[in-house]
Amino acid sequence: MRSRRNWPGLALTLVIGTATLWLAATGQLVLYIHPRYVVFTVVMTLCGMGLALVALARSGDSDEQDEHAAADGGGAGAADLPRSRRPSPVALGAALVVTLVAVALVVLPPAVLSSATASTRGLGAAVTTTGSVRTDGATTKYTVLDWASKLRASTDIGSYENESVDVTGFVSPSPDDPDDTFYVTRFVITCCAVDAQPVGVPVYAPAWKDSLEANQWVRIQGAFATNPSAASSATIALVPRAVSKIDQPHDPYLY
Amino acid sequence: MRTRPRPTAPHQAKVSRVLRPGPSGADGYRRGVTTTEAHREHAHGTRAAGGRLLVAGVGAIVVIALARIGTATLPAGILPDRLQDFVTLTVSVVVESMPFVVLGILLSIVVQVWLPAGFFAAWLPRNPMARRAVVSLLGVLLPVCECGNVPLARGLVAKGFSVSDSMTFLIAAPIVNPITIVTTYQAFGWSDGILVSRIVGGFLVANLLGWLYSKHRDQDALLTTAFARECRMPAGSHDGHSHSRVGSSAGLFRREMTTMLPALLVGAAVAGGVQTLVPRSVLLTLGSNPVWSILAMMALAFVISICSNVDAFFVLPFASTFLPGSIVAFLVFGPIVDIKMLTLLRTTYRPAVLAQIGVVVGLVAAVLGLVVNQIA
Repeated sequence: MRSRRNWPGLALTLVIGTATLWLAATGQLVLYIHPRYVVFTVVMTLCGMGLALVALARSGDSDEQDEHAAADGGGAGAADLPRSRRPSPVALGAALVVTLVAVALVVLPPAVLSSATASTRGLGAAVTTTGSVRTDGATTKYTVLDWASKLRASTDIGSYENESVDVTGFVSPSPDDPDDTFYVTRFVITCCAVDAQPVGVPVYAPAWKDSLEANQWVRIQGAFATNPSAASSATIALVPRAVSKIDQPHDPYLY
Repeated sequence: MRTRPRPTAPHQAKVSRVLRPGPSGADGYRRGVTTTEAHREHAHGTRAAGGRLLVAGVGAIVVIALARIGTATLPAGILPDRLQDFVTLTVSVVVESMPFVVLGILLSIVVQVWLPAGFFAAWLPRNPMARRAVVSLLGVLLPVCECGNVPLARGLVAKGFSVSDSMTFLIAAPIVNPITIVTTYQAFGWSDGILVSRIVGGFLVANLLGWLYSKHRDQDALLTTAFARECRMPAGSHDGHSHSRVGSSAGLFRREMTTMLPALLVGAAVAGGVQTLVPRSVLLTLGSNPVWSILAMMALAFVISICSNVDAFFVLPFASTFLPGSIVAFLVFGPIVDIKMLTLLRTTYRPAVLAQIGVVVGLVAAVLGLVVNQIA
């Protein structure tokens, strides 16, 4: 009977919807999407959940037409059971994946991307920022993104004299000098975490692993200098005056 | 939630017995009871059952919310970094795409249930070429981006569009729509003809594919059997005699969500998995070669499965190292062919059709990219 075969859509709507609203209510939706989509997402989620409840309340009405409309197994993505009694392995696998994702949405604590992804996405590689270097004088308010853009534009140490740096980010080991250099890193997102791109400022801190771990959020105050590290490809590095461990900010991404 | 009305013969029809929990796997459903009395009993039973299902739905929301709140205190970092990032990316694709899927299904319901029967036939040109050209511009009125256009294209087919016409809409809509055009303009302005190339490219490839598939004799053969069967239903049964439009809309929402959401979740998991495993830096070393840069950006577009409304912002930083033609290839290829889209499209089209779409769009995007690289 159809009303049973078509329940996964409504169940998934309620699962995804409830999880999304909870993320929004606790201010954690920004871990996954750009803030400008939060309102749209919440509104459409409410629409979807409202319709799902209407569809449940009216499900008796549409049994007849549902019976004609066999939606049995559109393919790889369809978790509903095909007509035959034995579902294909593909359908079973799809159903398993769907179930796991739904459970993950409800059970796993929300998280920000880690330094592992920062390294696979080319932290410190040539392409990362929009190149829109801030030109106003208030370098004290510069973020990791601003400094990383400036470092890309100019490697002349003279232009960094007397600059006091105060940035926050998480620790990512430097790919070429993991023992003595790390990057204070942020992800920049344009739409959602899928498109997150890491930006980082190299920090010269010999034996940093004695006091810090990768992914630890830190606030670093210091100044730029010619990078003393021989192994690192970064010519200029931040030499910290003070490194303090902090909690992950509520808004961990930059835009 | 499994409580459901079980139609019984009229002489047995007592409300207390009409409502019975459905035995799982039982298939003894009988229909075709036609007497007025049975209809009334049936209607009464479904209303009561509907009430119970509504309560069950609200109950489900409460249970899910409690589970979510209860597990919120689990310590972060219970998963290894890479596994956690895989989960984060997958959830991100789901959360980002879900609103557009809902929007697309809403518009699909409007098209199928609420628009009058001959609505499109009344004003669309008769000439196939001109009709497809107009259809490919429908996205300007129905800005559904790339997740919403699949359910909407399904709705257009169910409404009587030929498969090739609806495909023209499907391919063009993510690119030729106001939101995408505005964001692409904000990102690139008029520089290097990227904006114009993108719009023209999306329009051309959509009409090319529409024309190619209009040559196909058996249009239904392009569709999955399940969807083709659904479309063959007589138009009347969509909003059949005893059903209100609200009831039809509700049924359609249920069916479309059941088709699209599992596909979305699988697509999100695959996209998240590929992104976790394949280092993106591999692609970024290819930026300045006229040919390889195009292929690299198309590969990036395929993997990243990002929404066409915002992909221009995403690709903007790459413009400093990648040639403009490769940016255009990304912007034309990505909205139509990527991991998430393919799983969504798979609900509707046969695998061979998806492969053909991929090849044609890939070729057009690559040629367009080469041309732009030559000119710019």
